[in-house]
Amino acid sequence: MHPLTLRRLLLQCLILIVILFFVVIVALKFGAVPVSLYALGRDLLRVIFGRSSQISSDYGLIILNIRLPRILLGIIVGASLSVAGTSFQALLRNPLADPYVLGVSSGASLGAILALIVEPHLTLSPLFAALLTPLGAFLGAAATIAAVYFLGRREGQIDSTTLLLGGVITGSFLSAIIMFLMSTLTGSLRGITFWLMGDLSTPLQKSLYWFLGIGFFVATGAIYTTASDLNLLLAGEKEAMHLGVDVPRVRLVVYIAASFLTGLAVSVSGAVGYVGLIVPHVMRFIFGSDHRTLLPTAAIGGAIAVVMADTLARTVVAPTEVSVGAVTAVVGAPLFIYLLRRRLT
Amino acid sequence: MKEFAPPRLRSAVFVAIAALLSCAALTRAQSAAPITSTSPAFREVTDETGRTVRVPQPVNRIVSLAPSLTETVYALGLQDRLVGDTVYCDYPPDAQKKTKVGGGINPSLEQIAALHPDIVLVTKGFNRLETVHALDNLGISSYATDPHTVNDIITSSKKLADLLGVPEAGASVAVEMEHQLANLQQRLASSPAKRVLFVVWHQPLISVGKDTFIADALRRAGAISIVNSEQNWPQVNLEEVARLQPDFLVFADSHSESVPSTVEALATLPGWGILDAVNNRRYAVISDAVNRPAPRIVAAIEDLARQLHPDAFMEKTETGKGKIEKETPPPNQRSFAQSSVQLLGWQENIANCGGRVCTR
Repeated sequence: MHPLTLRRLLLQCLILIVILFFVVIVALKFGAVPVSLYALGRDLLRVIFGRSSQISSDYGLIILNIRLPRILLGIIVGASLSVAGTSFQALLRNPLADPYVLGVSSGASLGAILALIVEPHLTLSPLFAALLTPLGAFLGAAATIAAVYFLGRREGQIDSTTLLLGGVITGSFLSAIIMFLMSTLTGSLRGITFWLMGDLSTPLQKSLYWFLGIGFFVATGAIYTTASDLNLLLAGEKEAMHLGVDVPRVRLVVYIAASFLTGLAVSVSGAVGYVGLIVPHVMRFIFGSDHRTLLPTAAIGGAIAVVMADTLARTVVAPTEVSVGAVTAVVGAPLFIYLLRRRLT
Repeated sequence: MKEFAPPRLRSAVFVAIAALLSCAALTRAQSAAPITSTSPAFREVTDETGRTVRVPQPVNRIVSLAPSLTETVYALGLQDRLVGDTVYCDYPPDAQKKTKVGGGINPSLEQIAALHPDIVLVTKGFNRLETVHALDNLGISSYATDPHTVNDIITSSKKLADLLGVPEAGASVAVEMEHQLANLQQRLASSPAKRVLFVVWHQPLISVGKDTFIADALRRAGAISIVNSEQNWPQVNLEEVARLQPDFLVFADSHSESVPSTVEALATLPGWGILDAVNNRRYAVISDAVNRPAPRIVAAIEDLARQLHPDAFMEKTETGKGKIEKETPPPNQRSFAQSSVQLLGWQENIANCGGRVCTR
């Protein structure tokens, strides 16, 4: 195995960033309204040279005010889910862990919905009100992963089958509570059905993008500081402890940061499934299982995957939109089965 | 394998990723200039959800995000200004030829933006709040209606007509609707209300709550819904329906030919046999216009009244033999005559079909 050098890591990231760049260009080009590559290039150049005031064509406005924010959201959501998936897989020592499969997304959804329900009854400043949903989603995610973690423990060791089953069951239990809330409460929750499936179609307030971006980097940074410890954890908790890893600390950091990332992604996009499962696997296959490489490559890979899936969601039956969660599930679920079967044989 | 990444490496990776993403974020922040209309004149109005809306004047380009609003725009004679509508907007048939912007729940924002609407019409019962917020962020004016009664539909149409610069058309539509409703009320004055179950969907059984315009439409047709729920679209327990034993089941469908078979199939479904209305085939089938808070709902109300209270209508024709063409609008409402003709033509279709089902 080649030793990890800064050059190699940067090169790998650079390749992925170039791919992401082309995917973004493709995503900007395709949509319900046809845009020529020439117009796209011209408008993008104008933006780069700070002359966005010259953009007069409505296509320019569609690209910059509708498609670009949505792509940006896809990048953040994809990267967050993918890093969260990678972290859960390391933390639980289970390659099939994923925020969606483990029920963490459902927990985050429930938290977000509860936040939406109590929000009108509280008098909050607009900024805090906007942050209440992500906060609820984070708490929901954190509580769920804690529950699943304890469900999956048997005689002090994590049993992988029990863990997965526990996650799936917890997820369906939480979904049932969501269904119950939806059928008993009237009014504002009606649109939530669509959001639950995973939806990037609603652009957010500009300030929220900053919150999301900063939140993503802080949480991912925190996880990255434990990257080497996560490598050792792969050998087992006891073994890692013998090698000098402060296991409880690593577990706490990764657990909080990964729950935060899941809550962040779910609060803006609903439950986009399987991204946190597939992308880390693909990246592991290409770049190896060293978390120092895996975390950044999975982040960029997740961004690529969700932007691609969302482009499909926008264009397959345009102008009607498919929810992006349906697209990722159609690709992700069969892959999950494949990975499960391969592991069992 | 276990050589630890030097601190330099970690920070470098982060600088690289941070640079990329913040670049993108900055690009967006700089470019997010709102779409401004070239039209200088604006009018501030409060819509039916209490939002203050700035609407460019005159309104020349309308996008409708609900079938009912599309119908209202047509009824006001503004079809030429309607530049886009949803895939569900199928009435009048001409509305199907308009540019489609997707469904009501998940329309394509870019398709809407590309149509350069002066105003986007939405209705609270059909569209999502998120869509309205998204349009706000794009600087596109939207106006929301939220009718809960048949009277609301009339006022709503009038307000919309004012906003769109055709108050006369609005007044004439309103007068026509009020006139027909008043006639109907007079006819039904001596008929006791029938207790009905309005079937929105039969598997699972979903009906309408008391605070919906449909429940009010039933009242106008001389019917009272046995479901008295706070929820707008309550899922109803069949046992409860059996306990309350409605006189009639009311169905709404646009494809009036397929309804009789659906209704017949209902009798064979387990459980439904305990309803007297099912055993005695006491069904009323009306156009799905009843599901749409638009002027055409009056025709559906009248059709339902005819099926539920045939006596009230029989009496009139017997006593006033010469007055067969009593539906002809008064001379002062000639401007609305064209759509009235359409309504009447459609009524005939339904009346034929409905009659067949109900005379069983």
